[in-house]
Amino acid sequence: MATTFKTLLNNDIASTRTLLHEAVPITGTIVSGTYSDSNIKNFSHGMFQSVYDYPYLSSSANHIFDITMGYSTNAGLSSSAATQNSKKINIYNQMAQVLMGHDADGNIREFDRDGDLLGTTTDSMRECFFLNFSRLLVKDEIKKGSFQLTVATASAYSHGFDGAGELTLYDTDAQNSYRSNSPAGEYGLLYTASTFTSGDHTEQAVGQVFYQAGVIVLTSSIFGANPDDSDSEVEVSNYWGSKEGDDNDTYSTIKKAMYSGSISGSADGLRNRLKNVQFNNTTELNSTIYFCRANHNEFNYSSNPTYVTGSKMRVKNVTSDSPVSYITSVGLYSADNELLAVAKLSEPLKKTPENELTLRVRLDY
Amino acid sequence: MAFLDNSGDIILDAVLTDTGRFRLAKGDGSFRIVKFALGDDEVDYSKYDRDHASGSAYFDLEVLQTPVFEAFTNNTSTMRSKLISIPRTNLLYLPVLKVNKEAGGRVQMYTIDATNNTEAFLVAVDEDTELVQGGGTQMAKKAGVLSGENPNAAGHAGISKIRIDQGLDTSDIPPAFQLDSDLVEQQYIVEMDNRLGSIHNPEGPGLAAVSFIDDDNVASYYLSATTNPLYVSNNDNTKSDDGTQTIAGPRGTVLEFKIQSSLELNTSTTLFTKLGATSTIEGNCFYYIDSNIRVTGATTGYRIDVPVRFIKLKAAGSC
Repeated sequence: MATTFKTLLNNDIASTRTLLHEAVPITGTIVSGTYSDSNIKNFSHGMFQSVYDYPYLSSSANHIFDITMGYSTNAGLSSSAATQNSKKINIYNQMAQVLMGHDADGNIREFDRDGDLLGTTTDSMRECFFLNFSRLLVKDEIKKGSFQLTVATASAYSHGFDGAGELTLYDTDAQNSYRSNSPAGEYGLLYTASTFTSGDHTEQAVGQVFYQAGVIVLTSSIFGANPDDSDSEVEVSNYWGSKEGDDNDTYSTIKKAMYSGSISGSADGLRNRLKNVQFNNTTELNSTIYFCRANHNEFNYSSNPTYVTGSKMRVKNVTSDSPVSYITSVGLYSADNELLAVAKLSEPLKKTPENELTLRVRLDY
Repeated sequence: MAFLDNSGDIILDAVLTDTGRFRLAKGDGSFRIVKFALGDDEVDYSKYDRDHASGSAYFDLEVLQTPVFEAFTNNTSTMRSKLISIPRTNLLYLPVLKVNKEAGGRVQMYTIDATNNTEAFLVAVDEDTELVQGGGTQMAKKAGVLSGENPNAAGHAGISKIRIDQGLDTSDIPPAFQLDSDLVEQQYIVEMDNRLGSIHNPEGPGLAAVSFIDDDNVASYYLSATTNPLYVSNNDNTKSDDGTQTIAGPRGTVLEFKIQSSLELNTSTTLFTKLGATSTIEGNCFYYIDSNIRVTGATTGYRIDVPVRFIKLKAAGSC
């Protein structure tokens, strides 16, 4: 019986899961400089600022991340007299309830420095910057232990990134130690040290990286005199300007900027101090592998119209010659013969009764 | 539709087809891969040179250098010629499908351009077109013209039908020899544009059952000798020169069908103006749409495209 289809048996189909990682480097010049801020989009509602990898009016531009800031209602800065006070609280609460969740009484949990929500309650991060990375970069999640962010903590805005007080934050040892008490997935703590001191380390966390959500939370304390200080209040004495040339939104300290300045002004302040952000993303590939086995006595003839002239095969002169065919495609079919997937070989493969082939077709989902 | 890089290791570029994605999105379990086939669409076997002066290593040199396209996502554009599994290796001839144009006026094709020898089956999509006089004869009664509105009605009905013969088209083996049973095609897949028409019983009333219609409006019909004996029958003619056969050697089965035009073609000129043009045929002006009906042997995989021209009377006299 001549046939053109071959049924796939159970042992011809395998399912696998593969994690694929890509390195994502974001240089400071892209986020502040290269495009003279034409890649920065501010909104009339003023609640966050979007950063693109190219002037955003171009269709080639990709959204890479957003910057925003906010503070808790319990923060010292919270005051009805503060600029955009309601919006800053709104941002903080939105991020906190999504990323940290609620306590047993339904109250929004504040961001916690060490991620120990049931332990000390005096180490909350109440004034925070947020960097929300686009799914385009993060894909399924940020790879644990790969995150780095370098920022100048003591430079004036007008200097841009000048390295003053340069601080690099790492999710140190996160591949071995991370938190899972967030409703938004797993998160690691950001430290200023790339390695810990031996034994029980004493380094203080200055932020959090939410791996699946792709959100970075930074305490504004990193712009204070002592970034490792566990004091939750903002301690600053460094000049913190916001929008260049906008004297009305430029302040001498970050505390004043967060209180009297706009959210987008503070976002400008952080963005212009960024030197580098880098991480590896993770794509979870779920694959089904179909092993298409062509045995020695299968697929040796072709229905290609050029295979015959009249009805005589071109590849044989006499009946004793071996038939030969050339494979360029593999078609995967449903029971009702509908072509559901197709695979192409980069060059024709010779099939004769003297050989057997197994073509491994992988479909990723 | 670029070529794949063939400078290094052999790679396999796999994609879901549009139908595959459609079924996956439906989420009803209809996306289930249960079998595979191998294809050789790009290969031109006429480049296989069994008489190459430099020896057997050079027989398929040109074939192996054939560049291969990237995978298409259009399910009807790929896997058009499949490889066949036949356990025997001593075959020298393979069965083919051919449009039978020899068996009298009933199955002749209409000559559209005698100079360039272009032929097609004409389908008159409405009664006006069937009955209009062309060269002193009703269009529907001309050889090669199928009645699209009244495929089998008595009186003015057309007499033509499409007939595909299967077998070994070689004079090296006389037709009196019986075709090996494993090479006799028992089931055919007929694909046609569902917007234009449907497959109709060749001898009686009724349409063939559609197996499925894909996202490109291509309807597939599975017609087998077992369940559709009016469509598929054995070719018992073993004569070599009675003037009715197109297969020169041993014969397998015969597929016959007519075409019923779609309601849209029957009642409207929208598709004609969108997909077709106008032309003067037999002294009258007709709208027309050119299409193909693809017939594939479900067992042997051999495939032919039958050219079909759907016509609708626009006005008496030349365009």
